[in-house]
Amino acid sequence: MTEHTEHQVQPVNPPKKRKGISARRIFLYLIIPLVAFVYIVPAIGVILTSFKLDAEIAESGLWSIPRIIHFDNYEEIWVDANVRTYMKNSALVTIPATAISIMLGVLMGYVFSKLPFKGSELLFIFVLAGMFFPPQIVLVPLFKFYNTVNLYDTLWPMIITHCGFGLPICTLIMRNFFSSVPMAIREAAIIDGASEFDVLTRIMLPVSLPALAVLATLQFTWIWNDFLYPIIFTQSDEMRTIMVGLITMKGQYRVAYGAQGAMAVVASIPTLLIFIFFQRYFIKGMTMGAVKG
Amino acid sequence: MIRNRRKWTFLFSIIPLTVYVVIVIIPLLSSFYYSFTDWNGFRQTYNFVGLDNFAKVFSDKLFANAIKNTLIWMIAALILPVGGGLILALMLNEEIRGAKFYKSLFYLPICLSLAVVGQVWIWIYMPNWGLINTVLRALQLDSLTLAWLANPDTALVAVIIAWSWSQIGLSMVIFLAGLTSIPTELTEAAEVDGASYLKVLRHIVVPLLSPATTVVIALMIINSLKSFDVVYMMTQGGPFHTTDTLAMFMFNETFKKYYMGYGSAIAVVLFMIAMIIIIIYFRQVRKLEHLYD
Amino acid sequence: MKKSFLFVTGLLLILAMVLSACQAAPATEAPVVKPEQPVATEAPVVATEAPVATEAPAAKATTNIVHYYSGDLGLKDMQEIITQFNAQSAACEIKDNTTGHEDFKTQILVMLAGDNPPDVFSYWAGARVQFVVDSDALMELSDFWAEEGFDDIVVAGIQGAKDYNGGVYAIPQNYHFTGMFYNPKTLAAAGVTETPTNWDEFIAAGEKLIAAGVTPIALGSKDRWPAQYYFDYFLGYTAGNEYREKFQAGEGSWTDPEVVRAIEYWKELIDKGFFVADANAYTYTDAADMVANGQAGMTLMGTWVTGYWDGNGLVAGEDYDLFPFPTIEPSIPAATYATVDAWAIPVDAANPDCAKEFVAWALTPEMQALWAKGQGALAASAEVDTSIYNVVTKKANDLIAGGTKWAAGYDLSTTPPNAEVGLNLFAQLMNDASQYMTYLEDAQVQSAEVFGK
Repeated sequence: MTEHTEHQVQPVNPPKKRKGISARRIFLYLIIPLVAFVYIVPAIGVILTSFKLDAEIAESGLWSIPRIIHFDNYEEIWVDANVRTYMKNSALVTIPATAISIMLGVLMGYVFSKLPFKGSELLFIFVLAGMFFPPQIVLVPLFKFYNTVNLYDTLWPMIITHCGFGLPICTLIMRNFFSSVPMAIREAAIIDGASEFDVLTRIMLPVSLPALAVLATLQFTWIWNDFLYPIIFTQSDEMRTIMVGLITMKGQYRVAYGAQGAMAVVASIPTLLIFIFFQRYFIKGMTMGAVKG
Repeated sequence: MIRNRRKWTFLFSIIPLTVYVVIVIIPLLSSFYYSFTDWNGFRQTYNFVGLDNFAKVFSDKLFANAIKNTLIWMIAALILPVGGGLILALMLNEEIRGAKFYKSLFYLPICLSLAVVGQVWIWIYMPNWGLINTVLRALQLDSLTLAWLANPDTALVAVIIAWSWSQIGLSMVIFLAGLTSIPTELTEAAEVDGASYLKVLRHIVVPLLSPATTVVIALMIINSLKSFDVVYMMTQGGPFHTTDTLAMFMFNETFKKYYMGYGSAIAVVLFMIAMIIIIIYFRQVRKLEHLYD
Repeated sequence: MKKSFLFVTGLLLILAMVLSACQAAPATEAPVVKPEQPVATEAPVVATEAPVATEAPAAKATTNIVHYYSGDLGLKDMQEIITQFNAQSAACEIKDNTTGHEDFKTQILVMLAGDNPPDVFSYWAGARVQFVVDSDALMELSDFWAEEGFDDIVVAGIQGAKDYNGGVYAIPQNYHFTGMFYNPKTLAAAGVTETPTNWDEFIAAGEKLIAAGVTPIALGSKDRWPAQYYFDYFLGYTAGNEYREKFQAGEGSWTDPEVVRAIEYWKELIDKGFFVADANAYTYTDAADMVANGQAGMTLMGTWVTGYWDGNGLVAGEDYDLFPFPTIEPSIPAATYATVDAWAIPVDAANPDCAKEFVAWALTPEMQALWAKGQGALAASAEVDTSIYNVVTKKANDLIAGGTKWAAGYDLSTTPPNAEVGLNLFAQLMNDASQYMTYLEDAQVQSAEVFGK
């Protein structure tokens, strides 16, 4: 093989042993770090800011390298008891809402893929439709509802709302994943006397760990980062989440870039950890389930 | 057996469907209801105005403007997060050192709340000490410096780029998953036949990726129809409506002008548009599924 | 293969346990599904009574307050006022709820629309309060006003902020004077030793600054509202306050000669290069920074800007100072454009007595002094010792105490939908003033629709 053809004919998935040095590989080694650096600059900006004092920001802007690394912003957040409450509330909302919305998606997905009935396709579209609806417009009806059932200013409205609005995506991904498991397996188990519940928990779920990981990551990230519902459905400080805390820091007549930056860094850590934790299943899950459309 | 099956279908779907109906469908119906009124939100009473709100929707220049911006957003979404994600996935699918690290790095922006993303991009676009203009000045390109978010010609694109930055990681992960499912034998065979890289891409990789592509496209279209958070944080629709998306426009009409009835009518129209898209999407998916069966 | 299967099932078990643990929690406390069943039928019905979220245990009645004082200083001081109130009140316990400034607007609408209003909330006096009053959502407070003797307590210059449709609906908490804040060092260096009092002097001062290489005026109109103060003064000081009031109420037109003339004054400044470039890209704090570091000479802003500067360690009288907007037509009397933050009590408030007790408390001289010190705001109570002000806020206080007529700024003196029309127009003007007639005609089409003409 000449150098010329080698350059042109790189396979998409080269086998492990064949690691020739080609122009394209060199190009990749040069370009990827460059792209990655440019890509990550905005995130670096947040981190830089979190180490600066507001006066320094007012004077020299945000993109300068801090003269001295100040931990004042982090200290301010650390001593602020509210921040701890906010983080706790965020966890108390995000973990159950993620878990429950996925469970509901598992149940619905199982019905749509393994127990189809007349009109179930239509029902499926009906469920998916929720994905396309902008939630801002239903704030008032939802607020009235939580008010009536006395759940206003608790953590429940966020959990319940995320379950409702998360159902479409969870159902879609679980249905697609379950569809890749042959129907025959279910039928064999049923003939052996297993119930649908057994089929779901013993056969389907064990092989759908990747899909669960995908959903866990996505839902966790979306719910954690949401600020609209907690602003509207809670009012007391004890019930606020970290995203509300972050937004409320923008004062009426003041700005606190530094503390905001520190808060943003702290608030992003849980979602990062979740991604790192679920990453390997995530990629696998995307391969097997979600991708099938 | 059939009865058993019905019982399980019922048991599985009752809870998810109840939550869905109460949280999504009933509020949705109530905004249908408000769309026929002139409710301002504060008053406890309102009048029925028939189809007036809908007549206004179709004669409102600002609504047409929001539709135009949303369409631009959708097209840009197909180019930036979809195209960009695909290119990143292709690059990282090669066996290069640190691929795993880069994958996490490109995924990182998803972990940030759009509240944070919006803020940091404001800092990037700032005309005086913003990052872009600082770099341009350092390169002696002063003539190219602009007030990116304040200039009506660049504001929308600037916001879309910020949004894309936070979405590229998601599409990259999905494409990567799709790529791993393409059998290496196929691309290798083509390589032996002397096909160029671009040809392999066009005739083998891209067609086989189409399930992943449909998912990415669907996700991006949904997200661009609902694009709100990042606009809310960065421009609130300004300067003078140049970054109004449908969701942002609806929010402003409802919560800034206190046109609760008109805002609901916009939501209804937005929902109709979404339904048309979802039906087209389903046809496409159905075609694909036939292709694979 | 087997090994990995075991691993996967093991992980699944853990996950399942986590999932079920999470599910167990809601099942015990408040069933997620159960309360929804009956509501499915109830939801469309408009609830008539606002359910009270919490029953007060024994003596103290819980009173919900919603306010937008969320900045560094505002939040802390408001919490201090509330804490002190709770400590001394026998019957009431205020529960504090803060929201970011922008999100407040959404939150308060949802609360009132959703039949669960707070007991008392902060609001902007002027057309905003008027709008809620017109929607029959606020409590009339003239008895309370008389009982507390607010006539003698509240600064005379801003008492107009209480009146709507012949009744009292808002109690001022503080106000912010809108004036020209400038950097004395920058002006002195450019040879401007006397602050301008009329239009010619103003133009001359600006030209001196330009000659010295300094942009005369910093404006950060990214959030639109900072630009409106120019319109307030140009219209008010050329057409007079009477016309302005009519115009704000929708009885004028954007294409009236009065408005066109006001806009042309504004355009003159823009054409002369008085404003910093790309004003629409900056926030008002960015503009304040430009004045502080000498890039620009002055900025037209409310007194809250002094709070921002003080926070950054600037010294009043040395690093920044204030002069009132120059008069344009000598025959037209000056007016005071000021933003008044007020308290309002919803008509459906669960606990109006405690709300009133709190408002009265917030207006005691001690609390007012505490409040004004932190916010860079001017106390609504005239009983506050003026020694709490610094040289600059003292100046603002004296200006309004002089007895000129109070008027709210543009977006707080017209209906919310019409406010949007003007704010967009001002942003267009700051972007490219040459097309101003087109903007005005467009704006008139929109305003006519808002006012149903």
